[in-house]
Amino acid sequence: MRELLDRISQNVHWVVFLLLEVLSGFLLFKFNHYQGSVWFTQANTVAGKVLEWEAKGLQYMNLGKENAYLVRQNTLLQHNLNVLRHELAGLKGDTSVTQRYHIDLLKDVEMIPAQVISNSVRQRDNLITINVGSDDGVQPEMGVVSGTGVVGIVSKVTPHYSLVLSVLNSRSSISCRLRGTEYFGYMKWNGGNPLQVSMDDVPRHAKPRIGDIVETSGFSSLFPPGIFLGRVAQIHNSGDGLAYSLEIQMGTDIAHVQNVCVLKYNMKEELDSLRRQ
Amino acid sequence: MLLLLAFQVLILNHVQISGYGTPLVFACMILYMPMGSVRTGILLWGFCTGMLVDIFSNTPGVASGSMTFAALIQQPLLRLTVPRDAPENIEPSMQNMGTGNFVRYAMLLMLFHHLVYYGLESFSLYHMTDAVLLMLTSWVSSVLLALLLEAFRRKN
Repeated sequence: MRELLDRISQNVHWVVFLLLEVLSGFLLFKFNHYQGSVWFTQANTVAGKVLEWEAKGLQYMNLGKENAYLVRQNTLLQHNLNVLRHELAGLKGDTSVTQRYHIDLLKDVEMIPAQVISNSVRQRDNLITINVGSDDGVQPEMGVVSGTGVVGIVSKVTPHYSLVLSVLNSRSSISCRLRGTEYFGYMKWNGGNPLQVSMDDVPRHAKPRIGDIVETSGFSSLFPPGIFLGRVAQIHNSGDGLAYSLEIQMGTDIAHVQNVCVLKYNMKEELDSLRRQ
Repeated sequence: MLLLLAFQVLILNHVQISGYGTPLVFACMILYMPMGSVRTGILLWGFCTGMLVDIFSNTPGVASGSMTFAALIQQPLLRLTVPRDAPENIEPSMQNMGTGNFVRYAMLLMLFHHLVYYGLESFSLYHMTDAVLLMLTSWVSSVLLALLLEAFRRKN
């Protein structure tokens, strides 16, 4: 008996080892499905604070680049404004029903400005932490955009921070379409280059061309229609040869994104409940 | 020790060697455990430090799992690389073990740690070659950094 106890006490480290490995395995596999696990990420208050300090320090060094982005975005918007003015002049008094619908939809979007405090692009499943949380009105399943396009979707929320499922994540898929046509597909990231994503199942008669603009379709209640995603870089045949698979050059360099907006859809619940019926 | 963790999560987590590996120096947290330490203690220490790294880099379970494994093999590896005539409770360092022995010991411990780390991390990775390349670049840079830290530590 004594000998047995000795044996056990000598080998207790094996038991501890197994227990700890099981615990890590649990964290590894359950993380994506278990809501409470948000406390084991950067979104918990202590880690969030530390990373926020760091991000604040680093922001100064990137101000130049951020400015360049803003200027570019400003030019783009100015250009868009001109185009729209032009179109409006032509259509005065004759706004079509769909356009009115789009304008109405945009009216209901509230933008919550936020700053990225932590970010990654080199893993298979990349997450972004931002400095707004449920206290600021952020909830899971809200879209996140930057000045240059879509960034991701909010996945977990604590009072002051949120964890965003980046576009560069194997689990994110964003409903998109080719600008000017109504042909839609889903945007996916297959790993590797953080500036390249793909859009599958584009029908052949959609006739995509290199350089075409890809934007959000607005079918999901996450993003309003027409938000810039990127441009078609290459056109491939899909596996079954019935459709095209497009390679898209991202409009947003996720690696350098700092200022973002969370899109709060006031009609989201209405849309979702409608969809469930 | 806290400084080392801060160094890892605040600086090294942003470093990529030509787009590939990230140096993972936090394995140093168990590198210096003297021979004959309580093994359960090393395991718990390894797990906790790994957990801290996990929390800061959004990799739940990856660092803690690999650190626990490294903690398990630390004592046998040390016994394997330490000179025969060494005292029973030797503390691993270049001075105590001899440079060659210490380098071998650090390389082996880091190798196992990286194998498990990238094994756990790339469960869903498509490109196997990428994962191996990632691991190798990361391993080499971690070993170099650890040796640099050791040289620095000896001076103080």
